[in-house]
Amino acid sequence: MLRKIYFGLSILLLIFLSPLALAEEVSARQVAEEFQDKLIEVMKQGKALGFQGRYEQLDAAVKKSHDLPKIARIVVGKQWEELTSAQQVKLEEDFSRLSVSAYAHNFKDYSGESFSFISEEETGRGGVVVHTNLKIPGEKDVKFDYMMKKKDDGWQIINIIADGVSDLALKRSDYTSVLSREGFDALIAKINEKIESYAK
Amino acid sequence: MYTPIYLGKSRASLGWALFFSGVLSISGCASTEPVRKAAKAAPVQVTPVDPYEGFNRSMYGFNMGMDKYLLKPVADGYRFITPNFMQTGVSNFFNNLKGINVVLNDLLQGKFEQGASDTGRFLTNSTIGVLGLFDVASDLGLDSNVEDFGQTLAVWGVDQGPYLVLPLLGPTTVRDGGAIIVDKAANPDTYVPGTGILEGINDRANAEGALNFIDEAALDPYVFTRESFLQYRNNLINDGKADIDDLDLDVDAAFDDEVVTTDSKKKVKSKPANGEVSSQLDGGGISPAYSPTIEAFDSMSKSFDDALLAFEQASAKMDELSKKKRRFRRR
Repeated sequence: MLRKIYFGLSILLLIFLSPLALAEEVSARQVAEEFQDKLIEVMKQGKALGFQGRYEQLDAAVKKSHDLPKIARIVVGKQWEELTSAQQVKLEEDFSRLSVSAYAHNFKDYSGESFSFISEEETGRGGVVVHTNLKIPGEKDVKFDYMMKKKDDGWQIINIIADGVSDLALKRSDYTSVLSREGFDALIAKINEKIESYAK
Repeated sequence: MYTPIYLGKSRASLGWALFFSGVLSISGCASTEPVRKAAKAAPVQVTPVDPYEGFNRSMYGFNMGMDKYLLKPVADGYRFITPNFMQTGVSNFFNNLKGINVVLNDLLQGKFEQGASDTGRFLTNSTIGVLGLFDVASDLGLDSNVEDFGQTLAVWGVDQGPYLVLPLLGPTTVRDGGAIIVDKAANPDTYVPGTGILEGINDRANAEGALNFIDEAALDPYVFTRESFLQYRNNLINDGKADIDDLDLDVDAAFDDEVVTTDSKKKVKSKPANGEVSSQLDGGGISPAYSPTIEAFDSMSKSFDDALLAFEQASAKMDELSKKKRRFRRR
């Protein structure tokens, strides 16, 4: 009898803990690596896919692994608060399209590149930085550091630091400059200009 | 999202640092220290990164104009007529000559182990590598390091000073601009007349990938160039060992202290942009002592704007003339 109870309890325990265990499993490292695998995969078929094909392949992967709404917020800085909600939605949408387009444009072919994991580090404020290396045959390695934050039940990328150059900081300076000098409409126009030229 | 500048086949990372300015093989150097300080505690922001933005912007415009009409065509021509292996050879050759300066600065920064490795590198490439034309040392595991006197000054604790865009030389900072003199003195090719021109063409050709990338990605190419230049230099100074918590702060600053950070940033930016800097000094920010300098820079920038305009007009005229000629011939 006692055994049966133990058995029942242990099964119950397993059932309760398994979702926890599963949720725990998708670590920041895994999110980053899964995304890198996808990138390499798309690069390998890059030429056959064409821009549109690469865009479609990467769209879901980028949106899943990156916290694009949050990034879109950060890049306009304080001025986010001054935008109307329609403008905020527009910015988020166009920024997402730009991000995916940039990936689709820049990872267009494959010549033996590979990513490798180096280490994982927790930051003071509950974030995780995943250090990786991009090996390009015949060239110096490029350090890719992914700054990740927990969102809901998983980790998402909010910044990529390539050889010490922070993408987020770069974009924030770029976007806030355009926004304060030329206004919101010019910012959106420029983002769309970039999307178009990436697609060419 | 994300900057794959280094994916290009060219030595984009080098071109990146040298940006355009690579043209005369600049060695700037910059730490983003003031930026970070600003993020941590905005009120302490005493050193704005770019107080001469007005001057710098027109200088940037001038440089880009020169690039479009003169330097890029020359570099494109060079890339067109020169076989790939020769371009690599030329790049290797000039890089190797910089090796003496790299060793010197290794020692000045107290990096003795790296200095030994770089000495070995220089000796190997100068002998087995046929005067540096072949980079044998990298294949032997002696990786190249980028060191210059600007970085040494930074290690010694000299402030980066304001960001500057110099005519033809491109992006630099006050500290790094001065440091170029030492780098030049320690480079043998300074003493051989004419080599500078080939080196310039070669550097510009190598920077092609980086320049195209900026063109594609930047909404405001001036700001994009400035930020990436300063960050890249900062990374060189730290030898790639950035403090992770600093990066985290960078992100969090955007949230938590959002108001504060952008406020102070705005202050810095709006001043030069508005032109009437001196009247706007509302305590904090730039000290009044700056304003005459800024005015001087502004008037200088006007003359460069004029020069660019004249240049553009001249080129338009040339286009017209050549069109007329063609028409003439057809008749």
